[in-house]
Amino acid sequence: MHLTRRKFNKTLAGVAGLGALGPMGRAYAARDNEMNILCWEGYNSDEVLGPFRDGNPGASVRAESGTSDPDMINKLRAGEVNVWDLINVNQPWAREQLYPEGLIKPLDKDRFMPYFEQMLPGFSDPYPLAFADDGELIGMPQRYGPFSFVVNTDKISQDMAEDQGWNLFLDAAMSDRYGVLTYDNWNIMHMCLTAGLNPFEEIAGDGLDKFRGVADQIFGGARLLTDDLVAMNTALINGEIDAYFTGGTYTASPARYDGATNVRGITPRSGPVDGKGGVVWIELTSAVNNPDPSKLAEDFLEYVQGPDVCKAVAFAEGTYNPVSQMANPDVMSKFDSEELDAIQWDTLEEEMSRSLDYQVVTSYQTLNEIYNAAKRG
Amino acid sequence: MERLHSRLGLFSALPMLVVLGLCFLAPLVVVAAFSVMPRKVFDLAHLPDFSAYLVFFQQGYYKPLFWSLGMALVSTVILFVVCWPLAFGMAKVFRRFTLVLTVAVVVSLFVSENIRLFGWVLTLMKGGLIEGHWRAFTGEGFESPLYKVPIIIFGLVYVYFPFMLFPLAQGIAMVPDDARQAASDLGASKWQILREIDLPLAAPGIVVGSLLSFVLAAGALAESKLLGGQTVIVIADSVETAFTYGQDWPLGSALSMVLILIIGAMAIFGISRVDLDAIIGRKR
Repeated sequence: MHLTRRKFNKTLAGVAGLGALGPMGRAYAARDNEMNILCWEGYNSDEVLGPFRDGNPGASVRAESGTSDPDMINKLRAGEVNVWDLINVNQPWAREQLYPEGLIKPLDKDRFMPYFEQMLPGFSDPYPLAFADDGELIGMPQRYGPFSFVVNTDKISQDMAEDQGWNLFLDAAMSDRYGVLTYDNWNIMHMCLTAGLNPFEEIAGDGLDKFRGVADQIFGGARLLTDDLVAMNTALINGEIDAYFTGGTYTASPARYDGATNVRGITPRSGPVDGKGGVVWIELTSAVNNPDPSKLAEDFLEYVQGPDVCKAVAFAEGTYNPVSQMANPDVMSKFDSEELDAIQWDTLEEEMSRSLDYQVVTSYQTLNEIYNAAKRG
Repeated sequence: MERLHSRLGLFSALPMLVVLGLCFLAPLVVVAAFSVMPRKVFDLAHLPDFSAYLVFFQQGYYKPLFWSLGMALVSTVILFVVCWPLAFGMAKVFRRFTLVLTVAVVVSLFVSENIRLFGWVLTLMKGGLIEGHWRAFTGEGFESPLYKVPIIIFGLVYVYFPFMLFPLAQGIAMVPDDARQAASDLGASKWQILREIDLPLAAPGIVVGSLLSFVLAAGALAESKLLGGQTVIVIADSVETAFTYGQDWPLGSALSMVLILIIGAMAIFGISRVDLDAIIGRKR
C-alpha cells in the first residue's frame, strides 16, 4: 500500500478522535455501577474482589495497587479524586495529609463503629489514629505489622538482635554485612530511633548532628540498597548480608512462608521513646472525597470485615500480614500453623507492645534532606 | 503561488503539530512550570520563586547528576567500541546472518528490562548461577561483582546495546564500498580508511546511536537500583524520591529540568552536526 500524506493525516485524525471519545464515554457511566480502589497489594486480588463482584453483578469493580503511600497520594493530588472511591494507605497519611487536604471524607460512624468491638486489643478501644482531630472516623484499620529490622537468625540470634536493637547496625563488625531497604519514610524514623531521638518530636541543633552521624554511618556501612523486598530477602538468604535495616513481618513473611524461617523481623526490646524502639504500621482504608461518589465504596469497606475476606486480605499474593480482626475466633480459625508462623504470631503481641505507632515525623523535611544527602554519599 | 504553497504545507502539518504539542510539549511545560514554584506545593497557582533550583546547588544534587552523566558517557564509549565491529559485520560482511543477529538482539527487547536485570542479579549474586556452581564444584566461594559501580555500567551497556548497534549498522551501511576500495587502491592503510572514510561517512549513525544510548543511560534508574544496589544515587532516583517520599513536586521538577536542559542541549548540538535526512533515507 502506498501511504500518502493525505491518508496518513486522515488515519491520524481518526485515531485522535477515537482517543478523545474514550474519556467522554466514561463521564456518562452511572457511578453506582462502578467502584475503584487504590490500595496496597492484596485488596486487588481475585480472592478479595471475586465474591464482591459476584454480590454486585453488573457493577464494575476495579482495584489498582500502588507501590508506596506517596505514589498513591500523588494520584489523588494530581486530580484523580474523581476516579477513585477508596484509598488504602498507612495510618499517618490519612490523618495528616489526606483528610486536612480534603482528599478523603469521613465514614458513617453508625455503620462502622461496631466493627471495632471485634478487633484485637489496641484496635478495639477504638484505634485512635482512625480518627481525625475533629473526631470524625476517617478510615478502617485492617492489616498491620511491626516494622523495625530483619535478621538471618542463623547468623545473628533473635535474642541478641532484640537485645542490641538498633545498635546492631552501628557495630563496626556489621559493616558491609547488612542492607538498607530504601523505604525512605521508614528509614528516617528508624535512624532517629538509632540515634536515640524521638522522631515524632521536633529535632534541631544537636539532634540533627546525631541524626546525620547515624545516617552517614548506616549508608556508609551498607552492602546494598534496594527498595525491592524480594531482592533483599534473596541477599539475606544466600548470605550476601546478615541483616537489613527497615523491615518486619511485611517483608520477612514471604520468605518465612516459603520455608526460610531463619528470616525474622525483629522488634528491639528497648528504645528512646517511652522505652520503646520498634514501630508498627497500620493500614487505614478511607473513602475518597469523590465529587461523584459510588455507594459501593462503604459496602466494600463493610464487606472486607467478613472472616473469609479478612483471611484473603491477610494472605494475598506478595506479602502476608496479620489483620486487626484476628480477635474474632471465626477469623482466627482460617489460619493454619504454618501461616501463623509466617506472620510471627508467637511474638506478635509482645512486638506490638514494644512498638510505637507510625506517625508523621515532625522534622521530616530537614531530616529528609540530611537523609538523602547521606544516601547520595 | 510560492507563498500559498508554503502555507498549504503548514496547514497540512497542523494536525500533527497539535498532536505533538499536546502529547510532547504539554507535559514538559507542566514540569517546567512546577520547577519554579515554591517548594512543597501541589498546584501551579503560586508566585514562582525558583527556590527548588537553589536546593539543587545547596544540597549537593550535582552529585547524582555527575554520576548519571559520567556513567552514561562511559557506557556510551564502551557501547561504541563494542558495537562498531559487530555493526560493521552486519552492514558489510554477514549478509543473511545479519537477519539472525537482528532477530536475536530484538527478541531480547521483548522481555522487560527489570526482569532481564533481575536475571543478571540471580546469575551474579553470591550463591547464584555462577558463584553457586563454582562453590559446589571447587568448595571455594568468591565475592559477587554486584552492588558496585562497574556492574551498573555493565548493566547500561547490556540494556542499551540495541540502541547503539542498529543506528551504527545503518550508518556504516551508508559508507559506499567504492570509496573504501578507492582509498585502499590509493594506498591508504586500514587505520586511515577507518579514520578518513568510515568514521566521517558513518557519522549520522554514530551520532544517532551515541545520542540514543547516552540520553537513555543518563535517565536510567533500574540498573543502579537492581545491579548497583544504589551504591551510587543517580539523578532519576533523586527525581523519583523528590516526587514520592519527599512530597516535593517542585524539587522533582527542577531536577528533571536540569537533566532535560543538559541533554536537550547536547542532542541539539549533536543533531545539528550531521545530516539526519541521509539516515532517514529522504533523497534531496
